[in-house]
Amino acid sequence: MSVGSMILRRSLQLPLVLGAVFLVTFSLMWLVPGNPMESEGRRPPPEIAALFERSYAMEDPVTFGVQYLDRASGVAWITGRHERPFDLGPSLRHADWTVNEIIAAGLPVSMALGALAMVFALAIGLGAGIVAGLRPGSLGDAVGQGVSVIGISLPGFVVGSVLSAVFCAGLQWFPVATWDGWSSAILPALALSLPFAAAIARLVRYGMLEEMRSDHVRTAMAKGRSRTGAAVHHAMKNALLPVLSYLGPATAAAMTGSFVVEKVFAVPGIGRHFVEGVLGKDVTLVMGIVLCYSSLLVVLNLAVDLLYRVVDPRIEAG
Amino acid sequence: MRPWMVLAAIAALGMLWLGRAEPEPRADIRFVSAEVFTLDPQRMSWQQDLRVARALYEPLLVRDAVTGLPKAGLAQSWSCSDDGRTWTFALRAQARWSDGSPVTAHDVRYAWMRALLPDLATDFAGIQLRIEGAEDFLRWRAEALAAHAASPGDAQALWSRTREAFDRLVAVRSPDEHTLVVTLVQPVPYWLDLMTFPTTSPVQERQAERFRRIDPATGTVRWETAWTKPGALVTNGPYQLESWRYKRGMRMVASPTWWNHAAMRNQSLELVPIADPGTAVLAFGTGSVDWLCDVAVDWRSDMAAQRRAWDARVAPEAQRLQADGLEGDDLVAALPEPGPGERRDLVVIPAFGTEFWQFNCRPTLPDGSANPFANAGVRRAFARCVDRAAIVDRVTRLGEPTTTTLVPRGAIPGYDSPAGVGMDHERARAELAEAGWIDRNGDGVPEDARGVPFPSVTLLYSVSVDRYKLIALALRDMWRATLGVDVQLVGKDTKFFKDDLKQGKFMIARGNWYGDYADPLTFLELLETGNGNNDRGYSNPAYDALLREAASTRDAAQRLTILSRAEALLMDHDVPVLPLCQLSAVYMVDPASLAGVSHQPMLEDEFWRMHRRTASEREALSVLGREVAR
Repeated sequence: MSVGSMILRRSLQLPLVLGAVFLVTFSLMWLVPGNPMESEGRRPPPEIAALFERSYAMEDPVTFGVQYLDRASGVAWITGRHERPFDLGPSLRHADWTVNEIIAAGLPVSMALGALAMVFALAIGLGAGIVAGLRPGSLGDAVGQGVSVIGISLPGFVVGSVLSAVFCAGLQWFPVATWDGWSSAILPALALSLPFAAAIARLVRYGMLEEMRSDHVRTAMAKGRSRTGAAVHHAMKNALLPVLSYLGPATAAAMTGSFVVEKVFAVPGIGRHFVEGVLGKDVTLVMGIVLCYSSLLVVLNLAVDLLYRVVDPRIEAG
Repeated sequence: MRPWMVLAAIAALGMLWLGRAEPEPRADIRFVSAEVFTLDPQRMSWQQDLRVARALYEPLLVRDAVTGLPKAGLAQSWSCSDDGRTWTFALRAQARWSDGSPVTAHDVRYAWMRALLPDLATDFAGIQLRIEGAEDFLRWRAEALAAHAASPGDAQALWSRTREAFDRLVAVRSPDEHTLVVTLVQPVPYWLDLMTFPTTSPVQERQAERFRRIDPATGTVRWETAWTKPGALVTNGPYQLESWRYKRGMRMVASPTWWNHAAMRNQSLELVPIADPGTAVLAFGTGSVDWLCDVAVDWRSDMAAQRRAWDARVAPEAQRLQADGLEGDDLVAALPEPGPGERRDLVVIPAFGTEFWQFNCRPTLPDGSANPFANAGVRRAFARCVDRAAIVDRVTRLGEPTTTTLVPRGAIPGYDSPAGVGMDHERARAELAEAGWIDRNGDGVPEDARGVPFPSVTLLYSVSVDRYKLIALALRDMWRATLGVDVQLVGKDTKFFKDDLKQGKFMIARGNWYGDYADPLTFLELLETGNGNNDRGYSNPAYDALLREAASTRDAAQRLTILSRAEALLMDHDVPVLPLCQLSAVYMVDPASLAGVSHQPMLEDEFWRMHRRTASEREALSVLGREVAR
């Protein structure tokens, strides 16, 4: 299958995937009890609550869902019934913001944080994995393995809290709870990167172990390549393939699933908005972010599959 | 091309994007608060929104941050007619919007019309609904909208008719630009107090009209979200909006057009919305923020204990300094520095609110079985088991003032609080026996006349914070030990908890209430038959009659006496709610660094009075403290 037809096929799948995601999330959100306009302890009079529901066309789920899809998908805009394309509607709880504004402000923050975290994860993971794979059983391998177990098992809020207590409050190298400039991004990115770094290190270590034993690497060494030279020029490329397929979902996860880290470091990212939206039953905000997440995931998976073909031309994308 | 090169390129672009924002200079005062929901004053209902509104807007009256009493704001003076129904406010001639134009009575009328629009679904429309004709206008508009939705006509014309209907029906008049005359349905003794509430703030009609949109299908109006953003929002308070980024921060700068601008002690404010409680405390520790409006970390009770330790140690010096005329923040700043294990930067402020547990008073429980708590005697018996002092000392560990009444004791001048039901284990058992529950077979559990044991009691609470679970555990032990009843805990997520409350699906549940205005009614109306917030299903015709009698009483003192009798009926006899303690705000603020944060129970601040002390000012105060101490 050609690259073009692969892209075309995936693009056609996108609306189907989004439709399924929409249906599931929407049903779940609708079934959760509560009212987004309720504040702690206080309850709006029933007639006011009814007006609120009417003003957001929330009286019955089918009408609301159809109207929402109509505007969010851009159909209403194309047919001239709505002034904006991809209008995800107003946030039900944050009356002064539209969901589009919230995503536009939060998504770049989360993506920058996620991208930086993946760079850290790759640097740490590749380094540790290659060292460990070249010298299995060495001290460096043991340390790397130990650290990666910690990286996988320690939750983000522990790592985040320790990092900010040491580097922000103690040493005062970085600002606390601000999001201005690159220096405020380093610690959250580091905290976010650790589980990914650990996973990458394990993948690379295993891949290197396998490849160093393979025929073509042994042939290379027999022809006079040094161990390091063989590793870099012959083993690494194949050893990194599993990392590549891991990168797609991992990058998507780092860019979208950083709620805990975003909360601990007060990063105004989309992950935080999402969880707080769920807690507050902000139906439109949650729907908007879920649709945005799903699109991102589909696109990133496609990107990885394309990259795969570049790295390993034998692969026929399916 | 290698994959990590792609990622490196993405990262480089990300870094560039991050680096492009130039850090702004530090605002004079940075405070941590929850994210603001809306800056549309009429739509506000959350504490953090109302707090910011006091910086940006100025209603007719404002509450003094020191005395807690209403004083002149946008209105310079006012008078009331003899029948107590008509109020005339004279607006300041020098009052200006942040764009320099004068604030007029029309802007107040426009804002109050917005408050009454059913389209906006405002939480606090109840204030304006006390005005003559307001109820008619609200109903007229709701009916007109329903008719429009049924057969859509000209939505623009409907809006024009709505403006005319407001002018015709609602008794808010502006005989001239600077006079506002309001006629109420009946006298409201606390009307001036209501006039300090931020949702009564004016809105500049000219600017707001630019962002008003009409939905042709439903005929409803709404305001574009762009209206409340920097550059568009026009305000009349001490500050104007400089920037607002969603969950990222809001900056306000002193408004040169505010009539009292010369008196301002700071030039800029920044709201920092840090969601994680631990991070907020950390940020305070590094000095990057000056004030935490809510300390929610688990260890705050330990911090409060450190504050009490310091208070106890410096008490003798504090007395001498007080005798010397020092008070408030200056007094605290002049006292000796806290030593190890002590602190002065945390303060627990008893607020105008009550934390309680509430009984389901309906005759039957949701499962159809008879409800033992429908009997007031059983409720009193349970209330008499509770050791409130033990709860605030050993469970919450914040030392909040305990209470046996719903209306905070001593908060309203001239109002006598009833005694309420205190702890008395003997009487508790006796009252349960009188209600027919006696341990007849010697197993320690009380049974009714037919020998059926007391049903297992469920305690419903929300699991949002540990506090409620800990209190529930303490209550369970107290009730088991004294009455021998079986008690089970039911913790639920806040949304499910609220839903159960609303539907009356509980036996005993936690609750709390903050008063909105300085009058007992703000608490007592919670127990009125048919009130939307009466989750207990409590209904006593005698109580409702007392509230009605108070409403029709002209004499202020006599009215308070009647309300006091109503609360006595509640708290001495019927006990539909079991009050525990006064709600408290926990602030982190060092009075030696930031002076002027309000400590009065309504928690209403005048931001313009706050200032960060200079090093020399701090030094002068501590020198003064040492001299007096000697």
